[in-house]
Amino acid sequence: MLKIENLHVSVDGKSILNGLNLEVNKGEVHAIMGPNGSGKSTLAYALAGRPGYEIKGGRVTFEGRDLLALAPEERAHEGMFLGFQYPVEIPGVNNVYLLKAAINAARKHRGLPEVDAFEFLGLVREKMKVMHMDESFLSRGVNEGFSGGEKKRNEILQMLMLEPRLAILDETDSGLDIDALKVVANGVNTLRSPDRSIVLVTHYQRLLDYIVPDFVHVLVRGRIARSGDKTLALELERRGYDWIIEEAA
Amino acid sequence: MSSSLATRIAAEHAAASGTLPAQVVSPERRRNAIDTLATEGLPTSRDENWKYANLRPLEKVRFAPPAVGSPGSQGGSATLTAAELPAAIGGYARYTFVDGVFAPALSAPVAKAGITVTSLRNLPTPLHFAPSKSKDTRFALLNDAFATDGASIRVSPGADCPTCIELVFVASVEAQTGSSYPRVELQVEQGARLGLIERHVSVGPGANFVNTSVKVDIARDATVNHYRVQESGPKAIWFDTLSAVLAQGSTYRLHGVNAGGLSSRSTINVLLAGEHADASISVASLGDRHQIQDAFVRIEHSAPHARSEQTFRGISAGRARVAFNGMVVVRQGAHGTDSQQSLRGLLAGPEAEIDVRPQLQIDTDDVRCAHGATAGKLDDDMLFYLLSRGIDPETAQRLLKWAFLEDVVARIEVPELRRQIERSLAGQMQESVALKELL
Repeated sequence: MLKIENLHVSVDGKSILNGLNLEVNKGEVHAIMGPNGSGKSTLAYALAGRPGYEIKGGRVTFEGRDLLALAPEERAHEGMFLGFQYPVEIPGVNNVYLLKAAINAARKHRGLPEVDAFEFLGLVREKMKVMHMDESFLSRGVNEGFSGGEKKRNEILQMLMLEPRLAILDETDSGLDIDALKVVANGVNTLRSPDRSIVLVTHYQRLLDYIVPDFVHVLVRGRIARSGDKTLALELERRGYDWIIEEAA
Repeated sequence: MSSSLATRIAAEHAAASGTLPAQVVSPERRRNAIDTLATEGLPTSRDENWKYANLRPLEKVRFAPPAVGSPGSQGGSATLTAAELPAAIGGYARYTFVDGVFAPALSAPVAKAGITVTSLRNLPTPLHFAPSKSKDTRFALLNDAFATDGASIRVSPGADCPTCIELVFVASVEAQTGSSYPRVELQVEQGARLGLIERHVSVGPGANFVNTSVKVDIARDATVNHYRVQESGPKAIWFDTLSAVLAQGSTYRLHGVNAGGLSSRSTINVLLAGEHADASISVASLGDRHQIQDAFVRIEHSAPHARSEQTFRGISAGRARVAFNGMVVVRQGAHGTDSQQSLRGLLAGPEAEIDVRPQLQIDTDDVRCAHGATAGKLDDDMLFYLLSRGIDPETAQRLLKWAFLEDVVARIEVPELRRQIERSLAGQMQESVALKELL
């Protein structure tokens, strides 16, 4: 599904990712953990194609295609989804407009006609129920005046509507109370399938109690310093990151 | 103003004065206007509040209204059909003026209790709105000098007509042949409520010179919702002066949309003369190609505890220039003033220009004046967010431009008008079908 080889990325001239390797196969859930500043969010943004994240070296293939050659919207068309750590507020653009425009963009790419309005609304309502979201969300501006938890739920709602093949969720757990965390985790879990892959970027182990990963990787200074299964996350919870940072030095 | 321009205006006026109706503006007042223009002139781009306006086209304008019976003059209404006008808005009685003259055939007056709409030509006694002394309102004097007709609207005390009157001003005559002088005199009596739509459009090639004068007098505790839409033709030169005076406890909500014309300048003066008066002025301006959209809004607080709000959203694309100069003056004794300004401009092209200028002049203590003014490009974070959802860059940019204007457009509480404006703005922004379907 996703293969990252020796990826080097810098931001504002500062080298953040320094030769990162990662392979994510179909159906797998990978957690990327690591201390602050280790490059977790940079990885997420670089994969999504955010301007300003300069690729200095390496290769990324997504479903056999050269991901780095694609524009951000093309990456989305190919089935990649980035759940933002800080979802952007866009006053004046309704959530429902955004959802419809996003779905129709994906359908157009696949040569399908635009989504039927009735069918679309039915689908939105169904997914909103999963995310415990009130229907009034639809007519509000994208993330406008949403609480932190509402924003994160909105990200997952968009993901459920777009049904990506690869979801990269950047600190989707940050700023959530335990109830919201469960709702968000449940939303993510409904997307889990043998055909889809998920990369969870997280600072804390807590999320992984609810979305159980197949693999856990620890990022230190822009490289994966250690990989393991879910027990690695538990060990990090117990021992912190210092021992891995020391090992990596 | 060059003396040759003043001389020409005076000469054109002298030649036309025999045909200018005395019921609309008295000959004496017309003469006074011409005298003031001759001695003091129209503003020039050297004047502080006029540096963004385009005053050059004045040199080529024929200021006199088209001669009666000449092609394209008021007779234009004979050939004009309702289909060429904007679609009527449900519930609003329409009064159409073609080149500044009332066109009964294109109007559908409806009787509403307590509302009198009269063509100024049929007014038994002219209304007495005092001419303004300010240099910024001098184009209103030009209207005084040449006005051919207009709408007098009187709303009786306590009359309640929130969905009420639509004025459509159509310009058809070319600027080299003659000019249009739309004129509105609005008196809203105590405790009354009025919803007014005022639209400016062109038919034909649209190379018109239009000089509008609107006077608004709102009595105690009365409320006016005023929608103004400027959708003149692509070559039109449009000047506009609106002056409103608000008495105690009255409310004035003005929603302006400037999208048409090659060059457009709106001068809006609002005087909060009574305690607890409340004025909210929202303006959306859209410029593309070589358009100039210039607006100057001056709000004066002369009584205590009044509230005012200015909202501006402007987008400049192509090689357009979009300007908004928002001034708030708080006079001595106007304590307890609450004034807010939110002025935002968006640059949508490397050769476009935006000028957003807030001005505050406060001569008293105990006031709350909040103002914010920004001019910039589309937000990169918002853009990337939309792209990451698979939306193509062109659509994403259009959506964001649209969103930017929504702050003003969403305030239009007449759904039919709002939809018409949304479609028109979407067209102005060269929207693809994709965005229209999102609306």
